[in-house]
Amino acid sequence: MTATEERTVTVATVSVTIDGNQVSVAEGTTIFDAAREVGVDIPVLCHNERYDPVGVCRMCVVDTGGRVFAAACVRPCEDGMEVKTATPELDRSRATLTELLMADQPPRAEDPKDITTRDNLLLSLADGFGVARETTELPCGSGRGTDSSNPVIDVNHDACILCDRCVRACDDIQGNDVIGRSGKGYATRIAFDLNDPMGASSCVTCGECVQACPTGALTNKPIRGIPIRPREELDAVDSVCPYCGVGCALTYYVDRERGAISFAEGRDQPGSQSRLCVKGRYGWDYAASPQRLTTPLIRIDAAYPKGPLSADVRGDGHNDRGRVNGGERSGGGRKPGDKRGGKRKPGGLVNYDEVMPHFREATWEEALDLVARRLREVHAVGGPGAIAGFGSAKCSNEEAYLFQKLIRTGFRTNNVDHCTRLCHASSVAALFEGVGSGAVSTTYGDVANADCVIITGSNPTANHPVASSFFKQARRRGTKVIYVDPRASTVAEHADIFVQLKPGTDVAFYNSVMHEIIRLGLVDSAFIANRTSNYDELARTVADYPPERAAQITGVDADTIREVARTWGEAGAAVVYWGMGISQHTTGTDNARCLIALCSITGNVGRPGTGLHPLRGQNNVQGASDAGLIPMFYPDYQGVDAEKTRLRFEEAWGTTLDPKRGLTVTEIIKSVLQPDGVRGMYMLGENPFLSDPNINKVRKALAALDFLVVQDIFLTETAEFADVVLPATSYLEKDGTYTNTDRRVQLGRKVMDPPGQARPDWEIVQDIARRIGLDWNYGSPREVFDEMVGLMSSYQNLSYDNLGLSGKLYPNADPEHTDGTIVMFDERFNTDDGLAHLVPAQWLPPKELPDAEYPLVLNTGRLLEHWHTGSMTRRSFALDAIAPVAEVYMHPKDAADRGLAHGEMARVRSRRGTIELLVRVSHREQLGNCFIAFHFREAAANLLTIDEIDPVGKIPEFKFCAVQVEPLGVRT
Amino acid sequence: MTEVTDRAAEIRSRRVPGVEGRAGKFPGPSLIPALNAIQARLGWLPREELQELSRDARRPLYEIEGLISFYPHFRTEPPTKVALHVCHDLACFLRDGDARLAELRARYGEDADVELVEVSCLGRCDIAPAVAVNERPAPVGDTEALVAGARAGEVGAAPANERIEPWPNDPYPAGSGVPERYATLRALLAGDLDPDTIVATLKDSELRGMGGAGFPTGQKWGLVRDTQPGDVKYAICNADESEPGTFKDRQILATQPHLVLEGLLLGMAVVGAEQGWVFIRHEYGPEEHVLRAELDALREAGVTGPDACGSGRRLDVEVFVSPGGYILGEETALLECMEGHRGEPRNKPPFPGNYGLHGRPTLMNSVETFADVPIIVQRGAQWWADQGVGDSVGWKFFAVSGHVERPDVYCVPMGTTVRELIDLAGGVSGGREVGAVQPGGASSNFIGPDKLDMPLDFGTAVENGTMLGSGAVVVLAEGTDLLAASTNVLRFFRDESCGKCVPCRVGSTKAHTILRDVVESGSELDDDRRAHVLRLEEVMRKTSICGLGQVALGPVVSVLGLNKGGAAAREQPRPNGAADQPDR
Repeated sequence: MTATEERTVTVATVSVTIDGNQVSVAEGTTIFDAAREVGVDIPVLCHNERYDPVGVCRMCVVDTGGRVFAAACVRPCEDGMEVKTATPELDRSRATLTELLMADQPPRAEDPKDITTRDNLLLSLADGFGVARETTELPCGSGRGTDSSNPVIDVNHDACILCDRCVRACDDIQGNDVIGRSGKGYATRIAFDLNDPMGASSCVTCGECVQACPTGALTNKPIRGIPIRPREELDAVDSVCPYCGVGCALTYYVDRERGAISFAEGRDQPGSQSRLCVKGRYGWDYAASPQRLTTPLIRIDAAYPKGPLSADVRGDGHNDRGRVNGGERSGGGRKPGDKRGGKRKPGGLVNYDEVMPHFREATWEEALDLVARRLREVHAVGGPGAIAGFGSAKCSNEEAYLFQKLIRTGFRTNNVDHCTRLCHASSVAALFEGVGSGAVSTTYGDVANADCVIITGSNPTANHPVASSFFKQARRRGTKVIYVDPRASTVAEHADIFVQLKPGTDVAFYNSVMHEIIRLGLVDSAFIANRTSNYDELARTVADYPPERAAQITGVDADTIREVARTWGEAGAAVVYWGMGISQHTTGTDNARCLIALCSITGNVGRPGTGLHPLRGQNNVQGASDAGLIPMFYPDYQGVDAEKTRLRFEEAWGTTLDPKRGLTVTEIIKSVLQPDGVRGMYMLGENPFLSDPNINKVRKALAALDFLVVQDIFLTETAEFADVVLPATSYLEKDGTYTNTDRRVQLGRKVMDPPGQARPDWEIVQDIARRIGLDWNYGSPREVFDEMVGLMSSYQNLSYDNLGLSGKLYPNADPEHTDGTIVMFDERFNTDDGLAHLVPAQWLPPKELPDAEYPLVLNTGRLLEHWHTGSMTRRSFALDAIAPVAEVYMHPKDAADRGLAHGEMARVRSRRGTIELLVRVSHREQLGNCFIAFHFREAAANLLTIDEIDPVGKIPEFKFCAVQVEPLGVRT
Repeated sequence: MTEVTDRAAEIRSRRVPGVEGRAGKFPGPSLIPALNAIQARLGWLPREELQELSRDARRPLYEIEGLISFYPHFRTEPPTKVALHVCHDLACFLRDGDARLAELRARYGEDADVELVEVSCLGRCDIAPAVAVNERPAPVGDTEALVAGARAGEVGAAPANERIEPWPNDPYPAGSGVPERYATLRALLAGDLDPDTIVATLKDSELRGMGGAGFPTGQKWGLVRDTQPGDVKYAICNADESEPGTFKDRQILATQPHLVLEGLLLGMAVVGAEQGWVFIRHEYGPEEHVLRAELDALREAGVTGPDACGSGRRLDVEVFVSPGGYILGEETALLECMEGHRGEPRNKPPFPGNYGLHGRPTLMNSVETFADVPIIVQRGAQWWADQGVGDSVGWKFFAVSGHVERPDVYCVPMGTTVRELIDLAGGVSGGREVGAVQPGGASSNFIGPDKLDMPLDFGTAVENGTMLGSGAVVVLAEGTDLLAASTNVLRFFRDESCGKCVPCRVGSTKAHTILRDVVESGSELDDDRRAHVLRLEEVMRKTSICGLGQVALGPVVSVLGLNKGGAAAREQPRPNGAADQPDR
């Protein structure tokens, strides 16, 4: 499976002598690196192996016999060079350089780093040289000032030594391009954008600069009042970020005395390479929210018949929209339902005050008994089809596995699904059909080996920030970036070619690109002949899409289409990364089919720097799907409708199973409103009320259920319809494995104890299983994992013991010694005949086109700072502080045409609902399009969206519906 | 042999060893022209315009901030009617500049129409103390009239200096035009001259870089010619002389632009560059005008252009006007500026001859060096050698300023003594005795009256503990406070430090603070403070990235030595012509 083709480069070597040690190194090796090879450590301040050297602090100077000293970090070794790294003169120089810097530092007692993590590199050098600000006779300076405008990062310009580490961290590593040097000479300082306050700049608060800073210039602020202390006084828990599919490795530093996280830091792992984004680094405090569910809850009799319980959801409330920027934060130090000063933040999260009185606390025994009894009753009356379960892509592989096993074996139905249906179901469908596997064919990091990359239907700087940093970095090393998206997200600024096509025209665009590639003879004929089928059919179809015709459909000029075709076609290695702009359409499967065909006809699968990568959204959407949390597949994508497979699982699980495919998320909601449909549901960590399209319909369905049990960490909008609410543990309070978008299986480790009576999801699932008569006796997630792996050939060989600190990619023949497979399909595809099946697609327009009444196209998606229905991120101090309100992003002309100004309230209407929110005039939108993030219940985008679905992937068309935007007349 | 794999490693292997990290430097075309355009349109750079530029050019805001805060040319506030720039560096300081400045402050300090700014050396040391009113240079005595004119919206342009008689380095007779001049270039392009012969002649002539470093010119041309034959190369004439006391290149540009350009074009043709630039400091507006007129004439006559002199080869020269700052005279800072970055010197190696503008091999010489090339090529190395005194070779331009009767540019045989040069300039003003001389610009060590018979040449200067440097001879009359004068020089370096490396950025400031306190209080430099100055000098000299930091404290320390016994206290940190020191 592994592609190991290597392009080798031979490098000449040179011999140098360092402090008497002779060493041979590759030409171009720096003196610093060569010295390290012979065990000589040279002191550094500005240098760090993560960054390209700049040689500005001069601490690493060495004597090469020249007129002046050389900076070891940047000076290459020359053959025959004699280097001295420690002489009295060098020591004197380093001591004086240190003293010069110390003279301008803040007093030690006030040093922002010395009083927190206590790892100030400059101070430790100063201690070594015996110099200090307090004792120096050099004139001391200060007064360059501080900047506290960012909610979680403090800037102290006095402590800054202008080492450029933050500049390189921000630009070279993260590609955020915010920090630079401003001014000249002694007045030079680091600056954000046009020397703006950090909090007002385009900074995305990834914190890479804080991780890079060797002094007290850039430091983390305490979150929720938990002080930041030295690492050695804290408990380091190596884990994985709970947010997106990138799955960054990180370490939580836990203050055991206070029972809380002090701070988080990126950790090295082959994928994420110590990088984090704002959510991973600062967004973990949701788990410490006082709004956590801590006891099981049972709906009281007076709260029937069921319906939404809070005013925001009922739509009859007085939600004080005028004070959106009132500065109040959700969560922070607040008891459930506690109204600060009597003024609740308008909109925001579920109002506990309103909802809690409709529930009573119960013991676990009572609640679990009730759940088991009611589900059994519904099952007994309505049969297997009356039960359905929504699992969650935020839970672990083990929990996903147990949940689907419970639904399948406990109720003999395949009505089990999760939010993959809402993100990449169509991609997975197309990939299965095309290459026989739903997983990515290569990693996000493999972009470094590509000559060309298409990023399409994706806003990775917001949704996969760390992956996007690798894309941006690749471009700086020469990879051509083609960005195809209706919105000009920040990725567009990093693209060689930005194709701003009209929404919903992807098939026409890619057909036309293929048309040109074929016309120019840029296809890989050998690959087509040996590795694909159905090429002729594809070629016939795309023949109808000359650039001029596609230009009319897509709004992209024909020359740009030709340029994309040529750039892609001429690349030696090219890879495509796509997101939900491809999948969340009624033509989602067709869109993905085009991408598969594009890669296949140019031979761009199965080699380094080539392949197909749907960027997975949730931290464990890959794993949950792998584990069988989908209605048509058992674990490892083994079809439920294949008898041989079913028999094998029946044997493994010791029971009979439903031979029919189950219903998908959208079908389940629809079925509730139909006779003989689903009557009872088990909702584990899903919040369809905000995440599913056409919420008004969801609301009806949830209210119509005979029985609903919601298992979650907060009272969600969906829980307002629950009969029983079970308090679960957050990600941070349990062990489990999670599989990221790269197929990397990693261990998430327990950071702290759950609050109150909250219990791990897997235990709750097992307790319910036992109560409905299943004989389950799992002692730990490890046991579940072992059972899973036994049924999943892809995960073969993996175990808790060999996943290690950085996890392992699957498939993996030897996890003890290798990281796993980066590139799949180097010899054959996973299809029955081993060939890639090319499936041609004809362009079809979206289901609801703009008209006179609803003239704008609405696109929905996420913000960098928020996660899905906001239940976690809106309870994170940092994330809520940075992005507190819902906004509709509009093209300046569309706003002006409607008399709407930036910051004004507007009403957005579709055929399905109406919401009110702030206008954000944005040059990133196309004329005629607008964008709303779906995190905000007070302006729920999914009230507007259409519940039409892709016929194959069953995914809703979140990316396209017709709306109108109107002024409301309230200025904030 | 070490083996590495994958594309990323391939890219690493293509990297030129020693090239430092980007650290905020953005690839792509320079934004400086776009910023200049906004400022030309509006007189300053409003925030909204900068944001629009960032969006349109798809370049980060911080990059723009880095540029506009680095280069003094850029304004982020609307201009006043009158910009009154007053030079406060050594030559002006020696001619009562501080008193004149105080008077101007008293007069215009509260004037809403006038923005009075103290600036670094304007390169008008011959009319010191010098001012510039709305960029028109003038002696301080003309200030009132010029300010009045500027208030009314009219200052007019100053003419460049003229000279009828050719300087002795000019092979062309007085009154020649383009058709008579550029004979060497024509011969080379016609194939009558062999480029390798030119390189050999230059080597034999022992012509050295006249910008300060004294690197052998023939060797440099040979290096660039031999680097990656057939690849894209560039050539640049460094006309950014900005060191206090230095204005000889200004006069050369004004009076013999044809020699500068012929030298540059010869360099381009020899090394294989099609594109060349003259990088000129923005204070030299009148001279820039002369240069542009000559370039227009060359294009008109077909000497340059797509078919230079009918040879079928393209040779084009453009003028690049510096956005300001002495540091840009440092050759790698100059390259950074031309690439659109902050003018911060690079770590070296690699040197511009291998890795110059946009990473291409780049030939760079100063104005005087290029201007000497045509006559050497025409008349040969021996002729050039015969022009010098004794063992010295050729002619040398010196800018003489300070306490002399006739501050001006003098072209004398190399090897002329300091005393002879001072006499040529009319002797010490007021008939006083010489107290000290800075014989090679602001970065050279002061020498005492005992060294007046020193022949001015690269080698002899070094033997005497100083250097020939930028060809600026600043004379200080007996009784001048040498510590104050050398502290003035230090302030110049502190002000002009780019701030990139720690020793120069912080060291120059701390040393200046110590010395300023001593000078202002009129006290003695006690042993403790002297020790601090000495160790700061050592760390700056040994660890700074470029020549600016390496020499910044040298003049001060040389003066400390004079106080002790009349000899320079330390050796000059530039052994002449050594391969490791092509710094400014």
